[in-house]
Amino acid sequence: MSRGGSVSLRNIVKRHGSLTVLKGVDLDIRPGEFFALLGPSGSGKTTTLRILAGLESHDAGSVVLDGRDVTGSEPGERDVAMVFQSYALYPHMSVYENIAFPLRMVKTPNAEIDRAVRESASRVKIAHLLERRPGQLSGGQQQRCALARAIVRKPRLFLLDEPLSNLDAKLRLETRVELRKLQRALDVTAVYVTHDQEEAMTIADRLAVFMDGNIVQVGTPEEVFRRPVSIEVATFLGSPPMNLIPARLAGREAAIEGHRLQLESDYGAEREVLLGVQPSRIDIGAEGIPAQVDLVEHLGDSVIVDLALGATRVRAKLPERTRLAEGANVHLRFDASDVHLFDPQTRQRITA
Amino acid sequence: MLFAPALVLLVVTTSAPLVYLLWTSLMRIDLTMPFLSGFAGAANYVKMGSDPRFWNSLLLTLIYTTTTVVLQVVLGLSLALLVMQIPRGQTVLRVAAILPIVLAPVVVGLFWRTLLLSPDFGLVDLVSHALGFGSHAWLGDPQLALVSVIAIHTWQWTPFAFLVLLASLASLPPDVFEAARIDRANAWQRFRRITLPLLRPAIVIVVIMRTMIALSAFAAIFAATGGGPGTATEILNLYAYRTSFTEFNLGYGAALAVVLLAITLVISFLMFRMRRGR
Repeated sequence: MSRGGSVSLRNIVKRHGSLTVLKGVDLDIRPGEFFALLGPSGSGKTTTLRILAGLESHDAGSVVLDGRDVTGSEPGERDVAMVFQSYALYPHMSVYENIAFPLRMVKTPNAEIDRAVRESASRVKIAHLLERRPGQLSGGQQQRCALARAIVRKPRLFLLDEPLSNLDAKLRLETRVELRKLQRALDVTAVYVTHDQEEAMTIADRLAVFMDGNIVQVGTPEEVFRRPVSIEVATFLGSPPMNLIPARLAGREAAIEGHRLQLESDYGAEREVLLGVQPSRIDIGAEGIPAQVDLVEHLGDSVIVDLALGATRVRAKLPERTRLAEGANVHLRFDASDVHLFDPQTRQRITA
Repeated sequence: MLFAPALVLLVVTTSAPLVYLLWTSLMRIDLTMPFLSGFAGAANYVKMGSDPRFWNSLLLTLIYTTTTVVLQVVLGLSLALLVMQIPRGQTVLRVAAILPIVLAPVVVGLFWRTLLLSPDFGLVDLVSHALGFGSHAWLGDPQLALVSVIAIHTWQWTPFAFLVLLASLASLPPDVFEAARIDRANAWQRFRRITLPLLRPAIVIVVIMRTMIALSAFAAIFAATGGGPGTATEILNLYAYRTSFTEFNLGYGAALAVVLLAITLVISFLMFRMRRGR
C-alpha cells in the first residue's frame, strides 16, 4: 500500500461576512503522520478540515496535497476520505452498500468491490453486520461503518472530524487506541479534529493548537505540553489546566506572596509575571509557600485539591492516599524546572 | 353515547347519500321517460360495457390522471431542487406557490378560459401568436382542449407537490450529501443515489394524494370546457354529471359515479399497499 500524502496549507483566510474565521493558517503535515487539530469550539479547526476536504471554500491562500495545488477542486477529486462527527451514513443503504459506495461511484468491478468491502469491514470488526441498515446499528457500530467506508478506497489522506465525540467514555478510549493502530497499519496520513486535549495528546504524532482563527502552536504533544507558548495554550491543556500564580520576577528569583523561589535561569530586570505550574507538579509538604485547603475532590486514582494561595486559586493533583482536611493550612512546593513564566500583558511565554 | 350526535351526523351526511347513490344506480330513473322508472338490477352496469362514451370517458380519466400526476411530481421536484439552490427569498416563493392552491377550481377554470386561453385576447394565445405559432382555439379544438385542461390542473396543483417536496428536501441531512461528495459522487449520482431514495416517502405521498384528487377532478374542467368540445374532455366524473343533470338519466349517472368511486378506492388501496410493502 502506498504511503499517505503530505499536506500543506498556505496562508488560508476564511471570512463569514464581516467575521474572519481563519486569519491566515499555515500548516505542513508530513506523509504518514497522525496530526491533530486541537482547539476550543469556534477556533477554526473544523473549518480548516472542511477546507482541506474541499467542502468549504476559502477567501485566500492555497491547499496543496502531495505537491499538487488542489485549491478549488471538488472533494471527490482530492483523493481524501472523511469520517464525520455525525458519521453521515447513507440511511437508505445497507452497511455493505454504504461501504461500497465510494467504489461504486468510480465504476469499480463488482468482484473487486465485494473483496474490498469485506476486507474493510473485518478490519473494523463489523463483517457480521453487512446486511443491516445504519438505523439498526449502535453508535459504536455506526462509527465503525463510517470508518470502513473511509478506508475502503485507500485514500492518501484520512480526515476525521471529532469522530469519537458521540461515543460513551469507555468506548471512546477503546476506539482511540484502535484508530491509532488502524492508521499505523494502513500507513495513511490522518488529520484529526478534536476539542479534547487528552484525545489529541494521546493519539497524535504532532498537533496544532488553534485559538481564535490562528494556529498558535505546532509540535509533538510533549513539546506543546512541556512548553506552551502562551497563557491560552497553557490553560487549554491538561486536566485540570495549568495554575497561573501572580509573581514578581527579578534575576534568578521569583517572589510569590513573599515566598522566594530560585529559578533555573536569569531573567534580568524586575517585573510582574504570571508563574505557571501544572497541578500534577505541585507537592504538599512541611515547607514552601503557605496556602489553605478549600476543597478536596477524590478521583479514585488521584485527588484534586483546591487551594487558596492569597487571592489566587491553585489546584494540585496529588496521589490518592493524600489525606487533607478542608480548611487545613499547608505548604506548596514545586521544582524550578516545572515553572513556566508568562508575560501578563502580551500573554506570551517568557524565555531567559 | 356521547358520540351519538357525531355518529348521526356522519351517517346522515356521508353514509346515507352513499347508500342512496348505490340504490339509485340499481334503478332505472330517466326523467325524460318517467313512466319507465323502476328497479333495474345490474342493467345500468351491464349497459356500460357496450357504451363507447363510457369507455372514452374512462380512457380520458386515466390519461388526465396519469399526465397531471406525473407532471406535478416532475415539475414540483424540479422547482424544489432549483429553489433549494437559492440562498435568499425562499419564503417569498413559498407564499407565491400557495396562491394557485387557495383559488377555487371553478375560479381557476374560468380564469384560464377567459384571461389566458381565449383566442385573440388570452395571454397564452398572445404569446403563441408572438412566437409565430399562430392563434389557436385552445379550448375549442378537441386535442388542444385536453392538453389545456391538463395544463390548468397542473398549473393549480404543482405548487402542492413543490411545497411538500421542498419541505422534505430541506429536512434532508446536509452531511450525507457532503459525504457523497467526498465519496466521489457527481451531481447526477448524488441525485439518483441519495436525493431520490431519501425523498421517496414524500414522493409516494404526493402521488397518492394527487391521484385521488385528479380522479375526482371536476370543477375546473366544468368551468373551462364543460366536458367539450363534444366529449373531448369528458372525464368519468363529467360524464356522470352530464348523464344525471343534463340528460336527466339519474339511474345511469349514479352507476357511473359508483364506478368512479370504486376505481378511486381500488387505486388508493393498491398505492397504500405499495407504500407499506417497502
